[in-house]
Amino acid sequence: MPNKIINKVVIWDLPTRVFHWLLLASYLLAWITYADNRFLYFHVFVGYIFFGLLIFRLAWGFIGTHYAQFRSFAQDWSSVTEYLKGLINGKAMRYIGHNPIGGYAIFAMLLLGFIISISGLLTLAGEEGHGPLQGMVNYSVGIASHSIHEILAWVMLLLTIVHVLGVIVESIWHKENLVWAMLSGQKEAAAGTSSIQGHHLLALSISMVVIIVTPIYFNGYLKETADKLYQPYKGPVLPDNASWRENCSECHIAFHPSLLPARSWQKIFNTQHQHFEDDLDLDDETITELLKFHLDNAAEKELTEAARKILYYTPENVTPIRITKTIYWEKKHKDIDEAYWKHDKIKIKGNCDACHLDAKEGTYEDSDMRLPELE
Amino acid sequence: MKKYILIISTLFICQTAFAQSAQDEAFKAYSENGKLKFDSKRGHVLWTKKHPDKEDKDRQCSTCHTKDLTQKGKHAKTGKVIEPMAPSVNKDRYTKLKKINKWFKRNCKWTLGRECTNQEKGDILKYLTQQ
Repeated sequence: MPNKIINKVVIWDLPTRVFHWLLLASYLLAWITYADNRFLYFHVFVGYIFFGLLIFRLAWGFIGTHYAQFRSFAQDWSSVTEYLKGLINGKAMRYIGHNPIGGYAIFAMLLLGFIISISGLLTLAGEEGHGPLQGMVNYSVGIASHSIHEILAWVMLLLTIVHVLGVIVESIWHKENLVWAMLSGQKEAAAGTSSIQGHHLLALSISMVVIIVTPIYFNGYLKETADKLYQPYKGPVLPDNASWRENCSECHIAFHPSLLPARSWQKIFNTQHQHFEDDLDLDDETITELLKFHLDNAAEKELTEAARKILYYTPENVTPIRITKTIYWEKKHKDIDEAYWKHDKIKIKGNCDACHLDAKEGTYEDSDMRLPELE
Repeated sequence: MKKYILIISTLFICQTAFAQSAQDEAFKAYSENGKLKFDSKRGHVLWTKKHPDKEDKDRQCSTCHTKDLTQKGKHAKTGKVIEPMAPSVNKDRYTKLKKINKWFKRNCKWTLGRECTNQEKGDILKYLTQQ
């Protein structure tokens, strides 16, 4: 490549640039929202955007403009070694497009992005029972996918940091602002290098798709009312029983049997005359019916994610009689500020429906959760 | 339209009749073959009588049900809303004998630490049904 720098040309077409920054945005938002279950629906949304962008980029890698094409940045081994040598000697060659190492880093990131997207969809299907793959994979696939999803997200973060460091180093080295180049698309190039086509209409279409799908996806939130808050994910319809609804909701909400192991329900009904501070004094017929319903649908039946996890975290020699005293419950609620527990609407930890919009259904979906406003 | 009015009013009459019969049966059972007589004033006194619990905190019927029976109450522990006790605002009250007995048993034990006597139950029911 000649060293004489003559003019500014467009290297990165607009669709590539829009892809780059939207991918970054969705990626960062996914990181911000992954830890809190309440944001699952949002996390999944940015995941879809991330995945969609990658699919576009894959196609664009074959049919896009010169510098965006994979073959332009998949360079042969000798270029890679030469570039490495240059790096060590402090005389790295300047490339208009991706440098050989950078090019392979992009391949690695794209590949990682795809695996992260797909493992995310598998997690959503296997663990939560939602998304396009729901019903196609079981829970253990979901768990395994979740691990892959998490580990690769960290690997990708590492690669992102390397990528950013590379951008900084090269920018300083060659005295050109590569971040600005990805915004404006322009770089200084030797005479005879021509600008690529802008493809502005395609870039506009990509942006429009994102702008249009966002309010459609979040439509439910726009239409919710104060007494009917939106529940983005609907859980499975759980077994129901009229006597359970009637008798168990007299003093507290009717806790679904799936929330405690069978041995716990056995103990609770065996001690009905000292039910916490009350003597339930239910007749034999009622007790028999209630006990059967609870044993038939106890946590062991794994009707929901909560059931599985409560069971998993409860040691076999422990028989909890309060859901709020199970290890899993405590683990999931430990970060909730003390002020919420004193809130008028909550008062005791067993008032699940103060925050869980689907507490009465017993499904406890991740996104169907709202903390009340504090005064 | 007339038909509906007829059906609805029949339902109301039936409900009142049911309520009446459930209450009559309760009073009859509590009276111990007509030996006991019930008085709503005594019932009213019982309603607000304080009973110390193990931690020396007072418990009374009105802890959960409030003193104004036309108002909604609140479960002392869970905060769950309890529908008003006064049949004048809550038609469902005292319409099933089974329920009357069940709640006397459960709530007397919580409030007084023992079951109520027939005299107490009759007096309280007299007071409640007049609200």
